[in-house]
Amino acid sequence: MAFLTPALVLVVTFVYVFLGWSGWLSLTDWKGLGGSAEFVGFKNYIKMFTNDRIFIKSLKNTLVLSGIFIGVTVPLGLFNAILLDLGLKARRLFRMIYLIPLSFSFVVSATMWLWMYAPESGAINSLLRIIGLGSLTQPWITSSSQSILSLAIIYIWQFSGFATLVYYAGIASVPQQLLEAALVDGASTFRKYVSVVIPLQRPATITTVVLLLMYSLRVFDLVWLTTGGGPGYSSQILATYMWRVTFNRNQFAYGSAIGILMFFLSMAIIIPFLAIVRRRGEA
Amino acid sequence: MRKRKAALRKWLQVHISQQRYMSYVILIALSFFYLFPIYSMINTSLKTAEELAYGPLQPAGKLYLGAYSEAFQRIRKPFINSAIMAISATILSSVIGAMTGYILSRYRFRGSSVLFFFIIIGFYVAPQSILIPLVRFMGMLGIYNTYFALILTHTAYGIPITTLLFRNYFDPIPSSLVESAQIDGCSVMGVFTRIMLPLSLPAFAVVGIFQFTNIWNDYLYGLTLTQGVASQPVTVAVANLKGTTVAAWNVHMAGAFMSSIPVLVIYLFFLRLIIKGLLLGSVKE
Repeated sequence: MAFLTPALVLVVTFVYVFLGWSGWLSLTDWKGLGGSAEFVGFKNYIKMFTNDRIFIKSLKNTLVLSGIFIGVTVPLGLFNAILLDLGLKARRLFRMIYLIPLSFSFVVSATMWLWMYAPESGAINSLLRIIGLGSLTQPWITSSSQSILSLAIIYIWQFSGFATLVYYAGIASVPQQLLEAALVDGASTFRKYVSVVIPLQRPATITTVVLLLMYSLRVFDLVWLTTGGGPGYSSQILATYMWRVTFNRNQFAYGSAIGILMFFLSMAIIIPFLAIVRRRGEA
Repeated sequence: MRKRKAALRKWLQVHISQQRYMSYVILIALSFFYLFPIYSMINTSLKTAEELAYGPLQPAGKLYLGAYSEAFQRIRKPFINSAIMAISATILSSVIGAMTGYILSRYRFRGSSVLFFFIIIGFYVAPQSILIPLVRFMGMLGIYNTYFALILTHTAYGIPITTLLFRNYFDPIPSSLVESAQIDGCSVMGVFTRIMLPLSLPAFAVVGIFQFTNIWNDYLYGLTLTQGVASQPVTVAVANLKGTTVAAWNVHMAGAFMSSIPVLVIYLFFLRLIIKGLLLGSVKE
């Protein structure tokens, strides 16, 4: 049992004690070091939903960003995995290429994409001008109507290799007899995937969606270092808003309340997932 | 009949090669999407301040490393901090995860699966939910703004996933192996160090790489727990390269690329282990 002590002490302190601490702070009006903390009940939570338009906007942006990100990444990952499964010689090379973006920290991807998106001197608009499509140049992250979409593209760039990988493993685990049966029945490659392989990818899809949701909820750096939540509040998400409220405005109690709300959001996603995985046979 | 068969075969051959051709076209187009930003970063990092004015697509003329030496000056200490922090926290969290995963895999006591659940939930808690107490706690311990704070933080938050990975790894190892060692008089510690540890070296490689890449790339904890180059990780230092001078994109890119090298090298040479870690951590819970 002594074996379990280090893990228990650290996990209990850093996860559970801190969550309780955050939860308690969220019920006070604490404004940072030196200030006093009065118990105010659920005032912070009520304020969030009734008297804070930026919070509502951040919540909406988080959902829209996650929706675009996952709506594109999941089908793209499946598509990539099928391409890699076709038995081409260079599939290992391409698998590596697709995974490379995942190796970069969000700080580095933010740097790369700021350079890509810059309206005047950026690589994307310059490329469009050179190939004669100057009319298609966009303001990208500098415009409040395109900032969320531009951020979603970065997320897709970074994570679609991960989705590809999970699907690639899912496709590889399709029983060989099923594929042979389809072949004997004279199914085309297209039919083989549509009626045999893809219907068996439910577990891979659930895994991918849940993990991507988890990431899109918590990612802070990528947004903070590209748009900073702007222009205006057009790309403010929960993770960046929590930071701004806490460390720029010293509203520690209110920041804790947003953090606790994020905790409940992530548990609402993850607990059903763990239950499904457990039912699946606790591999 | 034979004619038709030959025609069919021909059609199939053309069709299949067309399909292959199309696949390559799509794969290459997608590769452009994945690689172009990276190419752009490296290209820009090799430019002189003068060359930057020629536009982002112009290839760098000659091998100019001035931006690298300037960026290196400014991220050298944070780079070392990151190395110390990432290596220490990787080792600590892997060893603790191995011990915990081992016990939870071998000894099914009352409540052990609840305990397992209780531990791995930690992996799914967003950092924002515990960030304020974390900062306060490090202040109380008196290690705020040191890399010990980061080592402790990354060790603690690494334990859920390392426990999960090791438990999944130990589960299929037959218990007869353990029993015979126990009959020979091995203690729990003895079984662990003489049998399980040597067997689990490949798992340490997978888990260690998984942890190292995650910790190296962290920004949020570095940003909240440290101030100044004495203790900050390289991600924070690279983010700070931006905006000091308007035209310093080459320096910023050089710093960004240098900070990526350790993890990039791991991806290029140990991709198999990276893939194993990503799949172990996602598919099997």
